[in-house]
Amino acid sequence: MASVSLRGIRKQYDNNSVLKGIDLDIADGEFVVFVGPSGCGKSTLLRIIAGLEDISDGTLEIGGRVSNTIEPARRGIAMVFQSYALYPHMSVFDNMGFALKLAKVPKAEIAERVGRAAEILQIGHLLERKPKALSGGQRQRVAIGRAIVRKPEVFLFDEPLSNLDAALRGQTRVELARLHRELKSTMIYVTHDQVEAMTLGQKIVVLNGGRIEQVGTPFDLYERPANKFVAGFLGSPRMNFFEATLAGQLGRSTTVLLAGGARVQVAADVARAQAGARVTLGIRPEHLQIGRAGGHDGGIGATVALVEYLGDVTLVYANVDGAEAGEMVAVKCDADTAPPRPGSRVELVFPATRAFLFDEEGQVFAPGWVESTAAPLSQA
Amino acid sequence: MRNQSQLWWSIAAVACAVLLAALWAFPLLWAVSTALRPEHETVSATFHWLPQVWTLDAFRKTLSAGNLPRWLFNSALVSLLVTVVTMAISLGAAYAFSQLRFRGRGILFALAMLAFLLPFEALLVPLFRTMHQLGMINSYAGLVLPQVVSPVVIYVFKQFFDQIPADFREAAVMDGANPLRVLWSVYLPLSGNIVWAMAIVTFIGAWNNFLWPFIIVTSNDMMTIPLGLTQTYDAFGVRYAQLMAAALIGALPVGLAYVVFQRRVTQGFLAASGLKA
Repeated sequence: MASVSLRGIRKQYDNNSVLKGIDLDIADGEFVVFVGPSGCGKSTLLRIIAGLEDISDGTLEIGGRVSNTIEPARRGIAMVFQSYALYPHMSVFDNMGFALKLAKVPKAEIAERVGRAAEILQIGHLLERKPKALSGGQRQRVAIGRAIVRKPEVFLFDEPLSNLDAALRGQTRVELARLHRELKSTMIYVTHDQVEAMTLGQKIVVLNGGRIEQVGTPFDLYERPANKFVAGFLGSPRMNFFEATLAGQLGRSTTVLLAGGARVQVAADVARAQAGARVTLGIRPEHLQIGRAGGHDGGIGATVALVEYLGDVTLVYANVDGAEAGEMVAVKCDADTAPPRPGSRVELVFPATRAFLFDEEGQVFAPGWVESTAAPLSQA
Repeated sequence: MRNQSQLWWSIAAVACAVLLAALWAFPLLWAVSTALRPEHETVSATFHWLPQVWTLDAFRKTLSAGNLPRWLFNSALVSLLVTVVTMAISLGAAYAFSQLRFRGRGILFALAMLAFLLPFEALLVPLFRTMHQLGMINSYAGLVLPQVVSPVVIYVFKQFFDQIPADFREAAVMDGANPLRVLWSVYLPLSGNIVWAMAIVTFIGAWNNFLWPFIIVTSNDMMTIPLGLTQTYDAFGVRYAQLMAAALIGALPVGLAYVVFQRRVTQGFLAASGLKA
């Protein structure tokens, strides 16, 4: 087991900067997930840790040892590839034992270590088969087994579940979590799937455009996003955003004016902003509630466009008054309550403490609390 | 109506194929027919498709006269060495050009491909001079070395390696394999059919090569089959039956090799073209 430390890691391809200074500490035995949209640099970062990509600038330490130029096989790491990369001409046993064979480990020990890994992954009966005779899930286990037999200090996973169907993905997710508990190794996992990130990661690193947007526990990132990108990236459907201007503040309670004319109260401390500043109001779909039109103070008028019944929840999509055409907000409703019909007028309300305010740069305002009456902000 | 038209097209296509096959096979069949005649019949004024008297005399005389067994051995050894060394060099070069990143890779590959443009004939004199300076005239090294660099084979292997997902190489690197080991343990087994196809083509090319052995060899004992055939002609005068018999004996190993490996060769070419066998 080993800690991993990245200091000012940069990666440049000709004139294209893929990683723009990554600073990150991964503790010994931690399960860390790199998540972000396509092209954010998460796979490149993983490959840099693996030693498959050179570092343009910065320092990488694995187990307290500077590893920038150490060969991949000598870094004490093992990687599970997205494609599994099982050698098609070798049996499962040979695939799993290949690294040990190269390291000139005695045959008896290879057999013992492969056997033990196969037992952990319940693939003992597959050892003589070739990869083409395995199902997707079995291949995935073999790929993990190939990593386990090397007894690495750090496991790297590059989107290992993306080739599995939904049911198998869920099952394998649980098994990976179990494996981490059993092996107690440091694991770094790359995915673009936020469910995988939220369920597996003890720590999540959200990347965007070659930079880290936020690092934290799944709870931190979901409940206390540092900026609009993180707030919008985690959660399905994504957080609803409304363009607004700051209208008033009382203590750490703020009133904002939406494009459609609605005035809503948000528990946010906007002391660093000026009256009239452009802000973005963010509310998660599960925090919006649907009320009868004209029935609430401070509600947002909207017209229901689409209703999706998903079994456990119902998703209601609505066009907010004053918003651009085609820009819809999502509302997650309890499946037991009768949803409104498409075309009907509704009023969307939410608890002021569950909304977020972001400044023009997308940075979140600190949370505040709700006062009974909000006063106008002083003019800039 | 449409079916009838399709039928006519099929008949025409088959007829064309049969005609082309007959044209292609005619010299071979004529050689067999000639080799099985008595010598006087080959220069007879009357034309006959088949021998009037069937005999194996020409084969018997060819095998007992001249230096045919030695030429056969030379051809086999030289062709085998050329094939093995060409495969080793081409696989290594193709792997480097395809998978390794090093300064000057593009220029080196372009230079290797430029060799396409140089006809072998243009290199005859400098090659001969080099071999002479190295004391390799009338030697196996002199026969083999100039034949072992093949830009076509390098190009075909490189194109094939480019199609193999890089994950295999990276997985092997993470497993601790050096480039040579990656090539040997991963890329080579994945390229089985195409290596066989290139090996057979190289072997046949080396077996049939006349020009370079003609330049580099003067000793009768170092001759290969194509070169030896000219000696047969000289030794026997205009003895067409024996000439054809020698040619057939010389072509037999190559023909057999092709028949044995035909399937692999076809699969290899299909693999190289990106089609599935």
